[in-house]
Amino acid sequence: MKNFIEVTELKKVFGNGEDEVHAFGPATININSGEFVSVLGPSGCGKSTLMLMVAGLLDSTSGKVEFENKVVNGPKTDIGIMFQDNTLVPWRTVRGNIELQLELRGLNLKDYQEKINNILKSVNLDDFADRFPNELSGGMQQRAAFCQAMIHDPKIILLDEPLGKLDAMTREKIRADFQKLWMVKKPTVIFVTHSIEEAVQLSNRVILITPRPGKIDREIKIDLPYPRDLQIKRSAKFTEYVNSIQEVFHKYGVI
Amino acid sequence: MKKFIKWIASGWMLILFFVGFFLFWEYSIPLFDIPRYILPSPSEIVLKGSADLDKLVYYTGVTALETVLGYIIALILGVGFGIAISFSSILRRTLYPFFVSIEMTPKIAFAPLFISWFGFGLMPKVIIVVLVCFFPIVLNAILAFNSLSNELTLFYQSTGASRLKTFFSIRLPAALPQCFVGFKYAAINATVGATIAEFIGSDKGLGFYISIVTGNMRPDLAFAGIFFLTVLGLTIFGFVTMMEKILIPWHISMKRINK
Ligand SMILES: Nc1ncnc2c1ncn2[C@@H]1O[C@H](COP(=O)(O)OP(=O)(O)O)[C@@H](O)[C@H]1O
Ligand SMILES: [Mg+2]
Repeated sequence: MKNFIEVTELKKVFGNGEDEVHAFGPATININSGEFVSVLGPSGCGKSTLMLMVAGLLDSTSGKVEFENKVVNGPKTDIGIMFQDNTLVPWRTVRGNIELQLELRGLNLKDYQEKINNILKSVNLDDFADRFPNELSGGMQQRAAFCQAMIHDPKIILLDEPLGKLDAMTREKIRADFQKLWMVKKPTVIFVTHSIEEAVQLSNRVILITPRPGKIDREIKIDLPYPRDLQIKRSAKFTEYVNSIQEVFHKYGVI
Repeated sequence: MKKFIKWIASGWMLILFFVGFFLFWEYSIPLFDIPRYILPSPSEIVLKGSADLDKLVYYTGVTALETVLGYIIALILGVGFGIAISFSSILRRTLYPFFVSIEMTPKIAFAPLFISWFGFGLMPKVIIVVLVCFFPIVLNAILAFNSLSNELTLFYQSTGASRLKTFFSIRLPAALPQCFVGFKYAAINATVGATIAEFIGSDKGLGFYISIVTGNMRPDLAFAGIFFLTVLGLTIFGFVTMMEKILIPWHISMKRINK
């Protein structure tokens, strides 16, 4: 049986002639349905480029992306997407922003009210449903953006450093929220990050990307039970994973 | 009402300044022995101006019509072209640089030409108002409709929504704050355009009135005309600012000022 997501010899070169930037690849990645995969690499190695190509939002130079055997050419719409800079619009409340996802997809808002309430509650935002984004802290905004990316129950969720701008404590908290939601719905997640701990804590598998042009150095299966709470993070095995990944990047001179 | 009191309270320094300014003006005229045909005192302006009130009100209406008509036409054309240019790469490479280069010429210099082409009536004044208002509106509109964040663009693409839907749900509301920068700038320019057009060639309107009474050595009446012109300008600007508050109450920069 073929994999749920197959990325084959995917490569991206921006510009041409002297301005040419080889941003990513070629790289081959397979992802199973329901898997939580982290893409870990130094900044500028082409992680965002990879993610956009997987989402069909950026054309590749060569190679292909397939979802359930169908080649992606053009934006994929059965996905949820989230970036470091969130996609909340300032003229809508938290609820309104979640509804924006539904409205753009032509879904019936009435059918989703219960669901919106539930998802907001699950990330402790139920009291802030009628607040505007600029009235929320950075962490709350990212939680709201996560609800926005999840509300239509996408089979695939693409997260590009969604916690990148948050302080360490908030990151920790939101990580736990993400994990909780993922464990309930089990969507396939591709999570781009440059935090080793974050990748190990959340993922079934971590894909290590070399400095630009990003290629796959290796993949590491994280064999730890969910939910990965504080106790697991203190375990010897967790530390071992973190250390082994650190060694890889140390070898490249990026840490 | 509470808001009004608060507004007065926060504006008391400004009010005090204005009162002081006019008192100084009033009493420095006899003090420095300034002849009334050079600079009249505020009280004299009020007195002589009110004798001419009927004419002033009528002329204010005339100038208001030219200004508002021109402004609205510029608004429709400016936003229309702004949207067209931001969505068409051909227009962006042709019309846009053309507009930018024309922006450098002082539009008001065309006024005598328009008067000689179209005569003394309403039309040349409206055209001149359109001309001075159009450029700030169109250039800000282009900027506004081109500055959607990368993330929001990718987000709506991932929903598969139609262009029309994303325009009304995302592009248009996101563009409004920057559009209003142009609208407000144009609102200030509009009365200036109408007044100068009237200076050059007309038989009614506040600009006509001011140039005539100045020629007759009546600075008191000229100041009365300027007062009405100021009220007209403030009214138009105030209306645009009010629309901004109604249409984009969420806009951050306004919230910060109100706090
Ligand atoms: N639109 C673009 N045009 C030209 N170069 C780009 C573009 N987007 C990204 N790049 C370049 O490609 C490389 C990889 O970028 P990116 O995928 O954003 O890295 P990462 O997300 O891992 O930090 C960088 O060197 C970046 O400058
Ligand atoms: Mg990136």
